[in-house]
Amino acid sequence: MKKILIVEDDFTIQVQLKTLLSGNGYEVFAVTDFSQTIQQIKAFVPHLVILDIKLPGNNGFEICSEIRAFSDIPIVFVTSSNTDMDELNSIMLGGDAFITKPYNTAILLAKIAALLKRAYPSPQTEFFTWNGVTLHLESSVIEYKEQKAELTKNELKILYYLFKNAGKICSRNDIIDFLWDNQLYVDDNALSVNVTRIRDKLNKIGFTDFIKTKHRQGYTL
Amino acid sequence: MSGKLYLKNQIPAILVNLMGMLALALFLLASGNQFQTVMFIFMVWFIILTTYLSVVYYARKRYLNQLLDMTEQLEERYLMPEIMTIPEKADEQVFYQIMKMAEKSMLEKIGAIQNEQKEYKEYIEQWIHEVKTPITAMKLLCENNCSPFAREILAELENINQYTEQALYYARSKHTEKDYSVREIDLCDVVHSAIADNKYLLRQSNMTITIDDIKNRVYTDDKWVRFILNQIIGNAIKYRTEQPVLHFSTIKTNDRIVLFISDNGIGIPQSDLPRIFEKGFTGRNGRIKKDSTGIGLYLCKRLCDKLGIGLTAHSENKGTTVALSFQLNDFVTGVQG
Repeated sequence: MKKILIVEDDFTIQVQLKTLLSGNGYEVFAVTDFSQTIQQIKAFVPHLVILDIKLPGNNGFEICSEIRAFSDIPIVFVTSSNTDMDELNSIMLGGDAFITKPYNTAILLAKIAALLKRAYPSPQTEFFTWNGVTLHLESSVIEYKEQKAELTKNELKILYYLFKNAGKICSRNDIIDFLWDNQLYVDDNALSVNVTRIRDKLNKIGFTDFIKTKHRQGYTL
Repeated sequence: MSGKLYLKNQIPAILVNLMGMLALALFLLASGNQFQTVMFIFMVWFIILTTYLSVVYYARKRYLNQLLDMTEQLEERYLMPEIMTIPEKADEQVFYQIMKMAEKSMLEKIGAIQNEQKEYKEYIEQWIHEVKTPITAMKLLCENNCSPFAREILAELENINQYTEQALYYARSKHTEKDYSVREIDLCDVVHSAIADNKYLLRQSNMTITIDDIKNRVYTDDKWVRFILNQIIGNAIKYRTEQPVLHFSTIKTNDRIVLFISDNGIGIPQSDLPRIFEKGFTGRNGRIKKDSTGIGLYLCKRLCDKLGIGLTAHSENKGTTVALSFQLNDFVTGVQG
């Protein structure tokens, strides 16, 4: 499990960011004593640091250059001031990303995932399996008993979300939110159409009723 | 300088001369001189006097006209005492001193106002950065506990964020200093991030979004363009009709890339179109929707002018198309290869 350290002085944001990141499968630690930030970083040994710029005591830039003195873990700057000077400073001091508040959580998570993937490459190919059906992310193909069907971008993302939350009920709203976060602007009708198409493809490769509709609640695998 | 007034000002001198002439005439006549001799002296005196007066008049007129011209050419006229030569006449020097004093107090006043304005701008910027912390906290709280209720709050938060951004850019646009940096950006990325900024509002209004394959790269400031797109998307949401549609597309011509944002909303009447970028102009749509401020598009225009982006709006009865055209000059295409 990847470890993320949060350096953020606003308590609510700190707690909520912790909730968000642990909900997405990261081990999270938040700095509470800002006079000991560096010691806490050294003790926790995170894979990535989320760093606010305005902090009590040393500011984010100073902390960043101190971190760079002993480590090159990815550093994500998060700030409410979006001046060019700050952005330039953060890049000059070795920051890997610069995100302004109020941030879009999907974008923040995507940035974190991308940075972690680049810093700690893992060779495994991405696929999910559930009830004998395999979803290949790289080739955008669904497979059941050696039979394959090609998926469109929308269909792949819908299935990805369902596989990731396999066994749980996914509300239509949550699925659409997820698609929007992936720059696929699908509305309610289009979602129904896409799900129908996926079902057709699954029927063709011999698995009926793989995606079940929960009335007034959403879909589930 | 008016000749009449000059002559009027010279009346005492002329009178003194006339009196001198009269006294001399009486004296000369009393001491037995001939009338013709007296007349001759009289004539000579008169000629000398008028010559003197007119020479002085024209010399003064030339000097003063020069000063007047100089002042008129000056952009900041209150700085005149700085460039004019110090006059030689005693009374003129007094006036010069008065002008100097007036200039000094004027400069002090301007300096004070500029300082005040700068402080105010800094305060607004600081305030906006501070208010973004609770906005972020609320956004995270809602997204971590996503319910229909939270979704509505998230939509309102997007509105709040838009208004604070508007205030920030308004404060910035008032200043001549450069607050932007131009770099190569992907138009597609900016469009997607502007949509992400308005995600919950767009979802709430059931907007259908279609994006053509946008692959163009332009040289501009992404933050400013994102703000401009946010305002345009905000308008599309505000003035939508049933089954709203928002369409993004680009056209590339020889020297420019044009990004079109079209909606099928209530449109803008032809009579209002020429004025929509004016500050405070709300027009017919403003009367329909009470929350129009007439600031959004005005700011867009100002920012576009600074960045050198062409901004036009087009509307025929129904629907509006806004076009942002980015220049591609020789240098830029050269860099792109």
